[in-house]
Amino acid sequence: MTPGLELCDPTAETASALRPRTAPLTTLAGSTVALMDIGKMRGDEFIDRLEQLCRERGVATRRYKKPTNTRVAPREMIADIAASCQAVIIALSDCGSCTSCSTHDLNDLDKRGLAGVSVLTEEFRHAFDQQKAAIGFDAAAIYVPHPMQNKTTAELHAFAEESIDRILAAICAASEPTPLEHAA
Amino acid sequence: MPHRLPENGLVVFAKRACETCAMVEPVLGELARSGQALTVFTQDDPGFPAILRPVDDTALENSFRFDVEAVPTVIRLDGGRETARTFGWNRSEWERVTGIAGLGQGLPAMRPGCGSKSREPGVHEQLFARYGDTGLTSRRITLDAWDDEAEACFERGWSDGLPVVPPTPTRILRMLEGTRRRPDEIIGEVPPNLSPITVEKVAINAVMAGCRPDYMPVVIAALEAALQPEFTLHGLLCTTCFSGPIIVVNGPIARQIGMNSGINCLGQGNRANATIGRALQLIVRNVGGGRPGELDRAVLGGPGKYTFCFAEDESDPTWQPLAVARGVAPGRNAVTLFQGDGIQGFVDQRSRTPQELTRSLAMSLLAVAHPKLCEFTNAMLVLVPEHYAIFRDAGWDRARITRELHAAMVRPGKDVIQGAHGVGEGVAASRRDEMVAKFWPEGLLIVHAGGQAGLFSAICAGWTGGRFRHESKPVTREIVT
Repeated sequence: MTPGLELCDPTAETASALRPRTAPLTTLAGSTVALMDIGKMRGDEFIDRLEQLCRERGVATRRYKKPTNTRVAPREMIADIAASCQAVIIALSDCGSCTSCSTHDLNDLDKRGLAGVSVLTEEFRHAFDQQKAAIGFDAAAIYVPHPMQNKTTAELHAFAEESIDRILAAICAASEPTPLEHAA
Repeated sequence: MPHRLPENGLVVFAKRACETCAMVEPVLGELARSGQALTVFTQDDPGFPAILRPVDDTALENSFRFDVEAVPTVIRLDGGRETARTFGWNRSEWERVTGIAGLGQGLPAMRPGCGSKSREPGVHEQLFARYGDTGLTSRRITLDAWDDEAEACFERGWSDGLPVVPPTPTRILRMLEGTRRRPDEIIGEVPPNLSPITVEKVAINAVMAGCRPDYMPVVIAALEAALQPEFTLHGLLCTTCFSGPIIVVNGPIARQIGMNSGINCLGQGNRANATIGRALQLIVRNVGGGRPGELDRAVLGGPGKYTFCFAEDESDPTWQPLAVARGVAPGRNAVTLFQGDGIQGFVDQRSRTPQELTRSLAMSLLAVAHPKLCEFTNAMLVLVPEHYAIFRDAGWDRARITRELHAAMVRPGKDVIQGAHGVGEGVAASRRDEMVAKFWPEGLLIVHAGGQAGLFSAICAGWTGGRFRHESKPVTREIVT
């Protein structure tokens, strides 16, 4: 991130400089979770497994795919997600432009009342924090190992299996970690 | 970062656009050949002077740190400290500073230089904000280079819904030049969060509102008035009613800063009117935390909650200004804050005598809040010049007009008690046999303002908090410049 204009905070500074995120849902029952594929290579393999894991847990999902990870989502897609879903999982960012654009998408959907979380690789933890600060939005993120582009499909699926409970907990306060062997 | 300089040697600041700098280029060559360490900073063209290897100071950081006022400037450093300086071209001065005799043979003995780029209008403040010790203590928020700064302010919830001017350190420093108050001075505690507010925070919000630095004394006075306990800003900003602070400015400062007291003075189009009122509302929002839907619970609100500020027309010597009527010495600057709603128009193009006009005004004033509610709110009457002329030509002054209006608004209790005339609203049934006044004796504020043509005055209903006569009152405060 290239530093730009510097502003002085006009508030009493009693709160965080970040706008609080939309509160997580109290239950996933009856809700539809948008699975937004940011359009980066290999992300679909991770999301395929995420979709299966949601289905196993009885969580209704709806797939979306951005035309490119290098721009924010088309307005029509944002409007469709906001109209059809109550929460959103955005995956999988493993580069600077993905991180920046997906955080803006998350902010956009958060302002429309969707509980959301972004999934990124560990390497972009700092970039995500910087983008949060620049937008002024206390966004939620779950991290998976970096790099991911050189992984096998099975390894990407394992990332999804390892992170699914944390991802769902980020969008639903009542989401209990469910051991895989008990889910079906 | 400032350029690292040798402990001992010569430092020169120059720019290509300066003819004297170009003229002394051979002299700089002589300095370079003298064996002394020489550093030449160039302010405009990194390739100038071509015969040397200049240090690019187009960002002007080094020029700022050396407080260069003119170019060329020659500085001698001994042990890391400046021991001599001269500017422009003056052979004997250059010889004194450099310790080299016979410089610039063939050049005139003396030639003035040019202004330093670091001293061009508006530049110094920006350099001070960037490189100086500003003393500003507010939390800094750094945007991404690609961010839209106006959108960034919206994102953070700092706006009343309209764009704000991004509060950069440079703009805040300029705003602070509009007051003698120290940036860290605390003005008071702003409700609803009762957060302490410093002059610096006032300046930040004034920047965002679009104020000019010379409005600062008015903004500060308005804030101080609003924070007086009897103004009850806390209740006013949280209320379910329509009201907000209405600011009336009196005194010569209104004309000095270009406020409007004439045509459309309650409307749009005047920067001072618009931004002073807005600054107070942004302070309530940003520092106090009074945001609609959170603790601001207005069922409808009103457009005056963006801004409602105007000046009184004091051009007619027969008219006693509002602030004078409220105890401020004539000729002094003051603000009066009234807890009020938007305007209710008063249209009367038929009255010819003060008696007729009084009865007519009273009919409209009785409708404030509700025709049957009495001693329940205050009211502000903005009397336009053509209506005032009817009173003035009959010899009526402010005191007489006020007295006659109150007298015309006294009614039998049986007509205004709850249930009377089939209407539930009204005063307590126990007042059936009293004569009931519409307002408290001090509860009708009259302001003279507006264009010269038009028999259309305005009534601003007061807030319902005014029913607590001794607890919630308009406040007048002198402006300290």
